[in-house]
Amino acid sequence: MTPMTLMTWLAAAPIGIPALAACGYALLGWNRVTAWFGAAAAILLLASAIALAATGPGEVAWGLLRADSLSVFMLIVIGAVAVPAMLAGPSYLAAEVARGHTGPRATRRYGVLTQGFIAAMALAVLASNLGVMWVAVEATTILTAFLVGFRKTRQATEAAWKYVVICSVGIALAFLGIVVTHYAALHAHVPAAYALDGATLAAHAAGLDGGVMRIAAVLLVLGFGTKAGLAPMHAWLPDAHSQAPAPVSALMSGVLLSVAFYAILRVKVITDAALGQTAMRVLLVAAGLASLAVAAALLLAQRDYKRMLAYSSIEHMGLLALAAAIGGRLATAALLLHVLGHGLGKSALFLSSGQISQAVGSTRVDAVRGLATRAPIVAATFAAGLVAIVGLPPFSLFASELGIVRAGFAAGLGWVMAAGLLLMLIIVGAMGRHGRRMLLGTGPAQAGAEATPVARAPVFAMLAGLGACAILGVTLGPLAPVLRAAVTIAGGTP
Amino acid sequence: MSEGLYVPLLDLGCGAFLLAGVLVLWRRDLMAIVGLFALQGMALAAVVVLLGVHQADAELIAVGVGVGVLRAGLLPYLMRRALAASGEGRETQPLVNVATSLLVAAALAMLAYAVAQPLIRLSPTPATQAVPVALTVLLVGFFVLVTRRRALSQVVGFLLIDNAITATAFLTTSGVPLVVELGVSLDVLLAALVLQVLTTRMRAAFGGTDLDELRELHD
Amino acid sequence: MITPVQVAVQITVQIVLVVAGAPLLTGMMRQVRARLEGRAGAGVLQPWRDLRKLARKEPITPQGTGWVFRLAPLVAAATVLVVAAVVPLTGTTSPLAGVGDLFAVVALLALGSVALALGGLDTGTAFGGMGASREMTVLALVEPTILMSIFALSVRVGSTNLGAIVTRTAEDPLDVVSPVSLFAAAALAIVTIAETGRIPMDNPATHLELTMIHEAMVLEYAGPDLALIEWASAARLGVLLGLLASLFAPWGIAGVGAGLAAVALAALILVIKVAVLGALLAAGEVFMAKLRLFRVPELLAGSFLMALLAVSASFFLG
Repeated sequence: MTPMTLMTWLAAAPIGIPALAACGYALLGWNRVTAWFGAAAAILLLASAIALAATGPGEVAWGLLRADSLSVFMLIVIGAVAVPAMLAGPSYLAAEVARGHTGPRATRRYGVLTQGFIAAMALAVLASNLGVMWVAVEATTILTAFLVGFRKTRQATEAAWKYVVICSVGIALAFLGIVVTHYAALHAHVPAAYALDGATLAAHAAGLDGGVMRIAAVLLVLGFGTKAGLAPMHAWLPDAHSQAPAPVSALMSGVLLSVAFYAILRVKVITDAALGQTAMRVLLVAAGLASLAVAAALLLAQRDYKRMLAYSSIEHMGLLALAAAIGGRLATAALLLHVLGHGLGKSALFLSSGQISQAVGSTRVDAVRGLATRAPIVAATFAAGLVAIVGLPPFSLFASELGIVRAGFAAGLGWVMAAGLLLMLIIVGAMGRHGRRMLLGTGPAQAGAEATPVARAPVFAMLAGLGACAILGVTLGPLAPVLRAAVTIAGGTP
Repeated sequence: MSEGLYVPLLDLGCGAFLLAGVLVLWRRDLMAIVGLFALQGMALAAVVVLLGVHQADAELIAVGVGVGVLRAGLLPYLMRRALAASGEGRETQPLVNVATSLLVAAALAMLAYAVAQPLIRLSPTPATQAVPVALTVLLVGFFVLVTRRRALSQVVGFLLIDNAITATAFLTTSGVPLVVELGVSLDVLLAALVLQVLTTRMRAAFGGTDLDELRELHD
Repeated sequence: MITPVQVAVQITVQIVLVVAGAPLLTGMMRQVRARLEGRAGAGVLQPWRDLRKLARKEPITPQGTGWVFRLAPLVAAATVLVVAAVVPLTGTTSPLAGVGDLFAVVALLALGSVALALGGLDTGTAFGGMGASREMTVLALVEPTILMSIFALSVRVGSTNLGAIVTRTAEDPLDVVSPVSLFAAAALAIVTIAETGRIPMDNPATHLELTMIHEAMVLEYAGPDLALIEWASAARLGVLLGLLASLFAPWGIAGVGAGLAAVALAALILVIKVAVLGALLAAGEVFMAKLRLFRVPELLAGSFLMALLAVSASFFLG
């Protein structure tokens, strides 16, 4: 097998394997054996991403896919979050079925849609054409709509409706931005066949018309920002993330938001070259600070722990926006590391919150008391996840947040960073208070909570994820070359 | 096709496109709104076919026919079916009354004209000069989405936005590459289907499709 | 070269047509309605018979009314006459070039409306005041629309002179199907209906005071004054329909320097065009109910929007 074809296979695998698993679910339904298809597909996805990183980046396949280091890095993030989420799926659904919340048709649909969802995210990060990337991002909205509305209750239906309407409209704006970019590219003598190719556009960016690209930049940030949950277009996020089944919430919060943000990064490379850095910086600083402020305000008095995690995701997206606004190598490296760390930590949190809600039967903070004594294993993963996500050492989010703040002060955005730090402090305090109320204290004398057995596979996966997050806080290890190359692509010119 | 006939016909198509868009604000009858949407789809398809004839581009003509089938045939058919199943014929009471919405639409037209200036400046062809028309429909679609309270009206608002973006794509660059166009059309169709299923669920869960009922989730 | 004779001929033809034809137009419209509703109808000449009967009556004015009340019908009739003389109905030769301007025409027609509204107020009765207030509401909504439509039509020509606009349209028939012209036509058609107090804005045949607009305002008039008002509103409808026909379907209109035969032919074509428009309007009224008063602003806001779109289209599609 020549290296070229090996490359093609490796690049097609992250899309093809989940798609095949989806077909498997469609044909065979959800049962004791097929339940593990998803986990197997996720592990294979992660393996192929690592193999891609090892073989080195390259152009591949029909001109539509390109596996450069940034794509490979995002694939690793997708794989790293998908593995624990998919491992948690079987036990989560088994519990739902046992309670009579769902039936065989719904579980089959769950299998098909989650795998389709992962395949669409892989396509989004591998697509070389901005239009194809858009199609894949919009496909994630459609595929996850019924996952958000999985329970068919009033709340779930409402969340799904808001999710589809707001995200589809937002993402439609991004498409208008792509159309406008295409128009500018054709008038800048970019060859028609490559007029939407990300790398080609970045190379020709200096020739793109400024006025037109300014419109495009605003539309693209608004559009993909909606999907990334940046304020003020975040209204759908807490509802959707709190109503989806826990493994889906983990995927949506851990990677889907980052995939949407990845789209902004790709676009930013083009607009920075066409307009200079200031145009995007203004937009992203505004969105970033607004996201932090919204998250801080709504976390203070939050009464629902799944919504608390959702607002925490908005906070982290805001941080990513600030990092992207700063630009430069340090900030971009911190941004990418933050994406990975947030994916690992947030997925562990959502998965353990799923176990908590199944044990307690409620997602209210008040309903959970004394978790540390009632269910020590779940409490431990939840606590560790919380420590990771508020950015305390030794987890990698501490390192990445430190990097972002340092880069921000160095780039002359001191006031922005000061405001951001203040808001983050409020958020840490609020989340710490809610976490303490849930974990410590004496629980209500309720039989049954202890009786719920905790499935082993997801706990191991979560612990592995959190462990990886902690190790990344100390050393990048073999990830370093991939990250370095990805930083260069994402516009981290020194 | 001669230039002398091309420009008036193009303008006429864009005019019909715009008119159908703003009339959506005027009507309360949901069936009539769906009819207007179908009319707009036809106008859009006609514009695309006209561009194809003008550039003697067979692929573009075929794409235009496809656009017509999707936007004047399939999507309105889906909405009519959803409407027949629901038995709810009218927009109850929009958040902004009709007279005001029409005046707002006038302001939006001005805004679209101002925003589109850089686009026109880059290449002032007859087709590009019609871009403000598409942007007006986009803003009107937003307005419908924000102020109407029936689920189906919101779907129409979303599809108006989508029509407008498609129109912009064809007016500026004679369309995005075919593979992207196909993907986008599929996404739109699926989104409409998903929204239709959700409408059915909403009716089962809430006993109606009045979006004011959606108040379960809040902080 | 425009000779004074030609101008005189054209003005005379137009005035005669409007003076004699307007009541006939009303009669024809009533006849069309009657036939569509399955009635025999009173015949096309009935409005003339009514006018004759009213004119023979003794003039009576209500107690406490002053010169405003007596002058109002005269002003209303006079403004319509002037408009009839200057607008290009049969030929584009603008007899009084400075006056044959869309702004002037609109202002003259508005002056007539205002005079009647003042007359209605002068009576001091409840219905007079109510009618006047409603008429002014409609007028306030109509004025911006008319101005916008005028802008839209004049952008292309570079002049608000009616003769110039009509000449341009007659020379370039494709302009009629442009969005500018279609939007403006729709807006002006709605405005014409509102200005002349027809269904769905107002019902000229109503006898229920609460729903009246125009009729409530002139409730206190009797005898020759009423005859004058009735004639003026008929003439107003005729002139506006004729103007619509000239602006958007100027086929057959006599150009500059046309001979007497051409003017005669143009007059014939004008009569046919206005008759067709009137018949269409009457037929539409049969199938339509009057709008509730609070929905009238909606319709007028819609027409304003159309006019504005016409203006913007004339800028960005031009």
